[in-house]
This record gives sequence, C-alpha cells and structure tokens, in this order.
Amino acid sequence: MSSKINHHRINGQIPQPCPHLAEYRTRNGSKPFRALQECLRVKPLGRAAIRRDPSEVPRCGACGEAARSRLYACVTCAAVSCHSSDSPSPSHAAAHAVSMPPGHEIAVDVDRAELFCCACRDQVYDRDFDAAVVVAQTTASTLGGGSIRSSPPPENLRKRRRVDYRPWTPDLRERVLMTRNSSPLQRTEGADGANLSNLPWGLRGLNNLGNTCFMNSVLQALLHTPPLRNYFLSDRHNRYYCQQKNNASNASKRNAASNDSNSNKNLRLCLACDMDAMFSAVFSGDRTPYSPAKFLYSWWQHAANLASYEQQDAHEFFISMLDGIHEKMGKDKRKTQSQGNGECCIAHRVFSGILRSDVMCMACGFTSTTYDPCVDISLDLEPNQGVSTKMGSTKSHHSCNGEADSMNSSQNCGTSTLMGCLDRFTRPERLGSDQKFFCQQCQVRQESLKQMSIRKLPLVSCFHIKRFEHSSIRNMSRKVDRYLQFPFSLDMAPYLSSSILRSRFGNRIFSFDGDEPDASNELSSEFELFAVVTHTGKLDAGHYVTYLRLSNQWYKCDDAWITQVNENIVRAAQGYMMFYVQKMLYYKASEKPTPS
Amino acid sequence: MSMFLKIYKKQFSCYQMRPSVNRPPTPDARLDREKEPSVLEIINIKLIESGEKERLMELLRERLIECGWKDEMKALCRAFVKKKGRNNVTVDDLVHVIMPKGRASIPDSVKAELLQRIRTFLVSAAV
Repeated sequence: MSSKINHHRINGQIPQPCPHLAEYRTRNGSKPFRALQECLRVKPLGRAAIRRDPSEVPRCGACGEAARSRLYACVTCAAVSCHSSDSPSPSHAAAHAVSMPPGHEIAVDVDRAELFCCACRDQVYDRDFDAAVVVAQTTASTLGGGSIRSSPPPENLRKRRRVDYRPWTPDLRERVLMTRNSSPLQRTEGADGANLSNLPWGLRGLNNLGNTCFMNSVLQALLHTPPLRNYFLSDRHNRYYCQQKNNASNASKRNAASNDSNSNKNLRLCLACDMDAMFSAVFSGDRTPYSPAKFLYSWWQHAANLASYEQQDAHEFFISMLDGIHEKMGKDKRKTQSQGNGECCIAHRVFSGILRSDVMCMACGFTSTTYDPCVDISLDLEPNQGVSTKMGSTKSHHSCNGEADSMNSSQNCGTSTLMGCLDRFTRPERLGSDQKFFCQQCQVRQESLKQMSIRKLPLVSCFHIKRFEHSSIRNMSRKVDRYLQFPFSLDMAPYLSSSILRSRFGNRIFSFDGDEPDASNELSSEFELFAVVTHTGKLDAGHYVTYLRLSNQWYKCDDAWITQVNENIVRAAQGYMMFYVQKMLYYKASEKPTPS
Repeated sequence: MSMFLKIYKKQFSCYQMRPSVNRPPTPDARLDREKEPSVLEIINIKLIESGEKERLMELLRERLIECGWKDEMKALCRAFVKKKGRNNVTVDDLVHVIMPKGRASIPDSVKAELLQRIRTFLVSAAV
C-alpha cells in the first residue's frame, strides 16, 4: 500500500503506449486483458497480485528463481520469467520476448500487477488494465458487509446544487434603505497622522487586560477571517435584535422559573453579539486600541474553568470560543451532522470540515470507516530532528534550496514543514499490538492500520501545531521550540480522502470514482495563509503575537501595537496556529428565500 | 525429513500451469531440478504460504518511509530523470541507478528488525 502521497495528478497525462503494447491491443481486440482479470488476487492489505492459482508460488520457468528478481508473467502465454535490471544478470523475461513469435513482449509483474514491456524494458500503462485492477481492489476491500460504505458519508454534502456567483448591486429601493439607515465611517487621523491612515481598515490594537494575549492573538486572527468578517460586517448577527429576542424569551421564562441569576445570564451571554460589537468597533476607523473587556467577561461565563487572569492556551481559547458561539446560535439537535455541514452556526460554517478515518485489519483487509467533523487540525511535530539523524552519514548531498516543489529534499535536510506534518497526519499508522482493533470480519482483535484523510475541507483551515511534549518519565510537559516552515499558499488536494484512497491503490491511471463521487473533488483545494499566531517563551510563561496578511502586506499585532513587517519576519516566526482560507468560494443555491 | 518431502512435493505441483492459449513448450528447467530445494527456497516458500512475507514487506515499506529512505531514492530518480529527459528513461535505468546507493543506505536498525522477525517466524514455523 503506497503510503506516500502522489503529489502529481495522475489524471493529467497518460504515457503513450509503446509500439508493442499498441500492437498487442489492436491484435487482441476490446478485452485484451480478460484472461488476466481472472488471475487478479488482492492481498489482505489491498495490494494486487497476479496468481494463476491462489496458493501459487511463482518462479521463473527458465531458471526457477523465485526470490531474488522481479517475476513477470507473459500476458499472451502465461509463462513466468524473471527479470533483472542489471545487465550482467539474466533477464529471462527479455529472452522470452525475443525467442517467441511476436506478441509475447507484454508481461505483467506478478507481485505488483503492473504492465511491463520486455522488449522496451520499461513499464507501460493501460487504462483498461488499471481499471480492472482498481475494481478488483475496491471489491476486495468492500467484502464482508460493504466496509467502505458501512458508515454512509454525511448527508447534505451535495443536496444543494452549485450555482454561479452573481454579484449583487442594490436596486433603487435598497439604495434608499442603505443611505437612510447608515452613516459613513470617518478615517480618523491619529497622532501619527499620515502613518495611521495608511493602515487598512480593521486594523486596531487590542489592549492586554492581564495576561490576555492568548485571547487577543486569536481575536485578531478571527477579526480578519474573511468569511467571519463578512458575516458580521454584513449584519448577519445583529446584536440589538438578538438581545431583543433574548429579552422576549426570557420574559416568558422568568414567569415560569424564579431563578434570577440564570435568566440574567441568558440576557447577557451571547458571544456572537460580543463579536458583533467588536467587529463594529474594530472596523469603525478608530485607531485607538480597543479593550475587549465585555467579550472577556462573556467568555469567562461560558468557560468558567478558564476564568482567571492566569495565562491560557490560545488554541484552547479558540475551541472554547467557537463552542460558545455554537451553543448560543445552534438550535439543531443533530449535532454531528449539522456541524459537518456548517448549518448550525457561523462558527462551524466557517471552520468545520469533515475528517475520514479508515481502520484496516491487517489480517483480512476489512476496512472500517468513520466520519467526524472537526474545526481544526492538530498536528504533531516530527519526533526527532527531522530524518537526518536516522540516515546517518548518508545525509543528502543534494541541495535543500533546490526545487521549490520538492519538499522531500527539505525533509532530508532536517527542517520540519507544514506539509510534512500533514503527510504524517494522513500516513497509515500501525496500531500496535497493545491497541488491537476489533475486526468485524475476523471477529477478533487484530493489529490494524489507521489512516486519516480529509473528506470535506472547511472554508477556513486552522492548523494547530502541538508544541508540547509530555515526558511520562519525569511527568512533566515541555514546549517544543523547533522551527516549522509553513507556506503562504497551500494546496490541500493530496490530503483529501479521494487522493489518499487513490494512492492507497498504487500508481494507476484510472479516474477513480470509487466511493467519493462528490463534485467537490473538482473544486479547488487551494488555500491562502492570512493569519499566523505565534508563541514565544516557555510552556507556562510566554507571549502570543499574531501576524496578519492584508492585501499581501504583513502586519504584526502585538496586543495594542500594530506594525507593518516584512514577510520574511513572518516566515521565520514560530508558528503555533496557522489560518488558511480557500482561494475560491463556491455558492450553493439557497434553501431559504432570505437568509436571516 | 518429512517436512522437506512435503514441501518438495508441494513445490512440484506449482509447476503445473493451467492450460491457456499459445502455451509455450514445457520449460526444460523442470527436468534439471530433480535436486533438493535449497534452504533459501524453502524459507521463501514458507514465508509466502503463511502470509508472513506480505506482512514483512509492508513492515519494510513502512520503516523505509519513516527513515526517509524512500524520499532519498525518489529524489535520486527525479534528479536522474531531469538529467536524461523524461522520455528517455526506463524503469530498468532507474533501478540500475538507485540500486547501489539503495542497498547501501538501508539503516542497520531496519535490517536487524527484519532479521529478528524472520528468525522468530522460523522458530515458530519449525515446530
């Protein structure tokens, strides 16, 4: 099972068949590999092989070799021959092609089910053959109760059809409404005069209210999360209207129950309203630092266990905040489903994606699949100093500054990259003998292979780097300061479930529909970085700073101080949370006539 | 002794090919091989029949990816293809290019682990 992701798209270019393959196809008509299909065996872990007889141990017909070289079976006469790539060693496969009448050049690798031309001494590709192999592999993995389909993919992913974006311009009536109910914002000239007015809208410092840099840093990122910003700035959650509704419903509740403190809490607690107020304040044009005291107080009420002036973790705050928004706004009781769709609240609409987890039994190949929504992806840093220590003296001599697309080189140089972390995240992981998984087909606990992939990308991806190490020996945690390189543009395609499944089946030329017929595969998976939350210092005593990217300029937001910085500063920073937004937004036909 | 005989007989049966179109003349190799199969061959067959070879292959793949060996080979191949041109390279060329470095750069820990697994298997298979 190929566990390394193919970074190139296979669908793009199909290699031209060699003359021998072309001739074989024309001579053998529409189903040239028919005989081979009967010999396709899929091994427990999903790899395809060619065996005439299930228990056959193939060996070279000429020399009896079974272990040292690759073995190829002629597709015309089924003769098995060995092949060695080194010229001195014999290649009976090549000899076979030469000694037989024309038509015996094409062979198939018995252990990999891949086509080979013995005359050209090169691998060749055929669509129909690869299709047959993939079908066999898919069938084999779904035996035993339809394992891949056992937990159906979350509904509503494709229910609403996609529509083209139509820009909106107000008609006359709407224009009147707008001018009557709004007033233009003034760009205030601060003490710095010209300097401040050059800053883009929405850049405003946040005062530190006592070790609240963890909150300020995340808030800065959220204030400039495009979908979130657009939502609040277009008045989709109006705090006055929301409070009115609260008052109304609480009035009736108060008649029923006499618990005053509870109803008071309901009156005040709506994190979304506080966000709305903050957006209004931050985008007002006023440059004096803003104190998010109200928001802090509301959040304390929501996350009582974190309510103190002690230093907190920014990521914990982020999760807690999204949860707080969801709690107030989300009325849907089908929590998991709607979270994945993002139909419950704006927090999930923006940040929620769906992760797919496959657990494959190593004895029989039965795969169990589950889908879970997630609002961010927490990534482990690589355990050692990259991979260079394990390679010892054979450390790579090729330059690390080389190809920009080859992140493999940088891995060998010992630098951790975000894509490397994502590779690790989606790599098949062997669940050890102490973590045996109950296999439904074998009906016993078996060693298994677990692999994660992304079923649905969120609008905004938040990557959280686990920069803490816990040592069970000393029973203490430690911060990992190791530098992580992160790109400004990120293509998430290799980490999608469709790509992971495709790579699991090897290097096949096959437009793999499989069980992922979702149109979202054709959609762009490109993301752009817009905010980085960095941490400096120790585990229990440090400082958070956020870097924001606006109109391709970077700004450092250090509590109340905002300064423009060069992008290299950002590149060199110690990333703790990275926020990426989708480059292309797609629109689905709206269910409701006017969204509230 | 009986174990050898059993394996030898089973081995022999593998030579019986299914009838198929354009079957070539019976390979002469069979006549030459009326001798004891080597220990290597026996071990290989036992490994394959029990499915252990497949598991060992998967383990090896995993370890070679973890230690960066696969990436290193991939980079070598890329460099070679870049030099020769994409359409002028065959699989044989690539195997030939990476073979020496590939064999030499496998970490000792990986070799040791696999040898240990094979030893354990042989002990359990001998009983």
